[in-house]
Amino acid sequence: MDLNYTAEDVAFRKQVRTWLEQNMPRHIRNLDERKAWHRRLYEAGYLGMGWPKEYGGQGARPMEQAIVADEMARAGAPAPTNSLGVGIVGPTIVVHGSEAQKRRYLRKILTAEEMWCQLYSEPNAGSDLAALRTAAEDRGDHFVVNGQKIWTSGGAVADWGLLLARTDPSVPKHKGISCFLIDMHQPGVDVRPLKQITGSSEFCEVFMTNARVERENLIGRLGEGWGIAQTTLGYERGGRALARITTYASQYKMLMDAARRLKRNGRPILDDAVTRQKLGRIWAELEVERYGALRTLTMLERGEHPGAGGSLTKLSYSEFEKRFMELAEEILGPYGQLTDGAPPEFRLEVDTAVGDHGTWAYAFLWSRAGTIYAGSSEIQKNVIGERILGLPKETRADRVGGIR
Amino acid sequence: MNFSFSEDQVLLRNSVRAALDEQCTPAHVRAMAEDPRGYSEALWGEMAKLGWLGLPFAEEQGGAGLGLVELALVLEEMGRAAYPGPYFASVVLGGLGIQLGGSPAQKEKWLPAIASGQARASAALLEDTLDWDPTSTAATATRAGDGWRLTGLKRFVPWAHVADVVLMPARTPEGLSLFLVDPRAAGVTLTPMVGIDLSNRWSEMRLDGVAVPADALVGRAGDAQGVLDALLRRAAVGASAEMLGAARRCLDMSVAYVKVREQFGQLIGSFQAIRHRCAEMLMEVENCHSAVYYAAWALTAGAGDAPAAASICKSYVSEAARKVCGDAIQVHGGIGFTWEYDLHLYFKRAKALEPLYGDAAHHREQIVRGFTAP
Repeated sequence: MDLNYTAEDVAFRKQVRTWLEQNMPRHIRNLDERKAWHRRLYEAGYLGMGWPKEYGGQGARPMEQAIVADEMARAGAPAPTNSLGVGIVGPTIVVHGSEAQKRRYLRKILTAEEMWCQLYSEPNAGSDLAALRTAAEDRGDHFVVNGQKIWTSGGAVADWGLLLARTDPSVPKHKGISCFLIDMHQPGVDVRPLKQITGSSEFCEVFMTNARVERENLIGRLGEGWGIAQTTLGYERGGRALARITTYASQYKMLMDAARRLKRNGRPILDDAVTRQKLGRIWAELEVERYGALRTLTMLERGEHPGAGGSLTKLSYSEFEKRFMELAEEILGPYGQLTDGAPPEFRLEVDTAVGDHGTWAYAFLWSRAGTIYAGSSEIQKNVIGERILGLPKETRADRVGGIR
Repeated sequence: MNFSFSEDQVLLRNSVRAALDEQCTPAHVRAMAEDPRGYSEALWGEMAKLGWLGLPFAEEQGGAGLGLVELALVLEEMGRAAYPGPYFASVVLGGLGIQLGGSPAQKEKWLPAIASGQARASAALLEDTLDWDPTSTAATATRAGDGWRLTGLKRFVPWAHVADVVLMPARTPEGLSLFLVDPRAAGVTLTPMVGIDLSNRWSEMRLDGVAVPADALVGRAGDAQGVLDALLRRAAVGASAEMLGAARRCLDMSVAYVKVREQFGQLIGSFQAIRHRCAEMLMEVENCHSAVYYAAWALTAGAGDAPAAASICKSYVSEAARKVCGDAIQVHGGIGFTWEYDLHLYFKRAKALEPLYGDAAHHREQIVRGFTAP
């Protein structure tokens, strides 16, 4: 056990820091500028780092990926784009795609020449994703897709989508799903931004009416879609592990500063014993998240997959983030709810979860999403109970019979 | 960067666990609760032979020269077994205290004796205000001839009734100072303080002008603060390791129980109300593991954030262990509330350690001071 970084990692961190100082744009005004920044990161070897070299990546160690993301968080660097493409779609094609699919799509994902979204969740298939009803009808050389998707990140700017659709309604629900690549620029695909409680629209609804998918864009075989969605190994795992905590830490220091300036009952809030207790608790929790990230990185560096252990990590940090933001709101009072017009010392000067310039109000509202997306806390607890603790499964009626 | 145990560390943990599983059964814990001295000399001798009693001391003092990560591994197992005996008092409080502040002669006198099991040490770090800030010390030491006279009232001195030497702070004209005192010396009165934890013993220690020689002074007069801060951090992390072990035991017992207990015609582990609680317990136990071993490493390595890490560890684990052990009683239902069932041994072990060496509130204040100190 040695929690010091190796000399090699320290040197790499320094190199990244220097590069960011020299290359980082101060402001990103539109998608084209963000794509240009994305491209610059890619060309410097700081994007898609975990992808195998033969497909345009660096074959980098998880620690190197974590260091790049961490340095970007530390510098307040703008986020790159096409994160689902780089993080999920690309690795899925690498593992399950045909040679023709790999040649056609992979490089343009890394360069953000083609933007990707993931068409998984539906209005009635959220936590119970396998209940999805979007249908892909086999017409020989192509499929005809009908259905509705929701919570599609980046749907408004996507050129392509990774689609889960039902190809056989007569078999048990997990077995009748297939995985496709679908062209988003066609008359049968209608993308509508979904306005969230933040007032912004990171997500979309996607309506597919007789949309067309060529047979060559089926990934794997018919009926294998559920397995593909479950077993996809991201190459960017670990990537956000440290960066997330570094962002929290810079927010915490701003919050401390606010607690020095703001007063309650004639004294700085920071002198209030109750608030000090809450601040001490949150810093302890934040650091425990960081220690956990170091454990995760240790596993990844050894080539081990955290498996269901990832559910413990996600459950822990997403629930932490809600408590953190609730404390921030408590200290900041009505300043914490401003979306505009806050005095400079009570503004949040770090990137938001999606890479835009943030406010405390936005960060607070966004914290409600973390315990829902990518498997709600309740789903994570089921996974932990069943797969790590080996607790008996619930009696479920949906593992038998068809979907209709 | 490597946050995993070495092969040697895994071997150490396995051998400690195997020895305690065999010799420190719940029946043993219960038997020792009825024993006048409260611990087994046979097991103590075994622990000396296995090298546990000198684990963190230098090799020239009969120790194994290992760090706090290894010590935490042993302590976690002791918490897991609710080991009844003066291990923590002797090795962590007395032993590390002498190692941190003692003169070469004091180390030579006491550390080999502690390591071999011939002597047992402890430390008297608390007085009647229960303030863990050493500056609250009211006990006094006045010069008398070549030596000193100690007067004061210490509370919650662990295993003082079987100790050969107790490390204690007292005020001198030069400031806060540390002394070694024989708890059987004339003028010392020990009175048992009986708590709910069956696996620990405490005494009130009254000192009425107790005469000690000049070489009872540890370090220089007025120089105790640094040693006490360092010792309290190690004690806080060591106690957290024991709480982690107790919490893991409670989790393991709960998971095993909900896999066999049936109600409404089903195993209760299949109910989400139970399963989700067990998942939260595991999350807390794993977070405690991170906090304990990070802090143990940081203290050993002298990392810049070691003081903060110790406070983060104790504040986090104090509450998380309480929750996990309490939830274990809850998922067991009625049987978890019976004296006969063993769960309360570990629940109480964790509870006893919660306020010691600084409770969560004490350490949270330390964390915030770390940010606001000039």
